[in-house]
Amino acid sequence: MITPVRCFTCGSVIGDKYEKFIKLVEEGMDPKEALDKLGVKRYCCRRMLLTHVEIIDEFLIYRGLKYGKD
Amino acid sequence: MSRGRGFSIKILDKSDDSISILFKNIPVEIINSIRRISMSEVPTLAIDKVFIFRNDSVLNDQMLAHRLGLIPLKTPVDKYKYGDEEGKPEYVSLSLTIEAKNDFRTVYAKDIKSNDKEVYPLYEDIEIVRLAPGEGLDIEMWAIMGTGREHAKWSPVTVCVVRGVPVIKILKECDSNCKKCVEACPKNILKINNGKLTVTNLYLCTGCKLCEVECPDYIKVDIDEKSSLFMMEIVGQLTIKTILTKSFDILISKIDDFLTKFNEVEIYEDAIPK
Ligand code: SF4
Ligand code: SF4
Ligand SMILES: [Zn+2]
Repeated sequence: MITPVRCFTCGSVIGDKYEKFIKLVEEGMDPKEALDKLGVKRYCCRRMLLTHVEIIDEFLIYRGLKYGKD
Repeated sequence: MSRGRGFSIKILDKSDDSISILFKNIPVEIINSIRRISMSEVPTLAIDKVFIFRNDSVLNDQMLAHRLGLIPLKTPVDKYKYGDEEGKPEYVSLSLTIEAKNDFRTVYAKDIKSNDKEVYPLYEDIEIVRLAPGEGLDIEMWAIMGTGREHAKWSPVTVCVVRGVPVIKILKECDSNCKKCVEACPKNILKINNGKLTVTNLYLCTGCKLCEVECPDYIKVDIDEKSSLFMMEIVGQLTIKTILTKSFDILISKIDDFLTKFNEVEIYEDAIPK
């Protein structure tokens, strides 16, 4: 649904890194370098960001219609 | 060498959120106790009680409460008591009231308002939830002291490791230059300079012995049981120094408790087999 706050395995905080990670990758940076730049060292935390699928925005489209202005 | 004599402590590497220390001639059990206590018995603050008055978001209440609990909070040292003898723990109340008016909006950890300015979310940009236009949240939270033994959200430490120091013995001068051992090492710490095999950074060696398997006549890898490498990475609620001193305090008070209880026990001479 939305980025997990902590890594499932080791417990470091990764919830604040997903937006930055996606931004760097969209700018054309290699995912490996982006993770290194964000200081994500271990592979447990790296897979949290690499394999995450953000689907909350797709839910929000329909919610927006329901609660939106018009 | 007798245990406990001639010990030394050396800090190999230190940054804001991690440390690695080399302990020499201190029994590994003591260092391991410190590791276990720092992970599961040093109390910190975390959100534990969540009162949800309004939640229009796509996440259900339980998910939201769980996500809020995992947000690390800066914990002032010795300000809040751990444990509740009278059944009412000391708490800090925090609140999160927000409404997405005309546009989609992400709720971040920095939107949480705290009653105590010494207690605040450490990582401001943690995404809690995203709201569609018209949706809102109205949440009251209590942060209380707890330990990692109860729930990992209270643990001040993420990764904490104790291991023996590897000893890499090069038995013979190697002149073949075949570099099989250099290629075998997963940490790339073996180098051949002018036909001489050298170890660049001993403390990165994991003791996996892959180099020894490749060339048993020349290399021997052992673990020095008298020394320990201690590595700790913290979340940030408490500083490294506080966590370590608190761990030692807790260990000492546990031993004191043990001694007091032990002195209360009457030991009958007859009960001891001769
Ligand atoms: S130590 Fe053994 S494997 Fe390594 S370069 Fe010399 S002969 Fe080759
Ligand atoms: S034991 Fe493993 S890590 Fe250490 S030097 Fe040999 S191959 Fe490298
Ligand atoms: Zn991890």
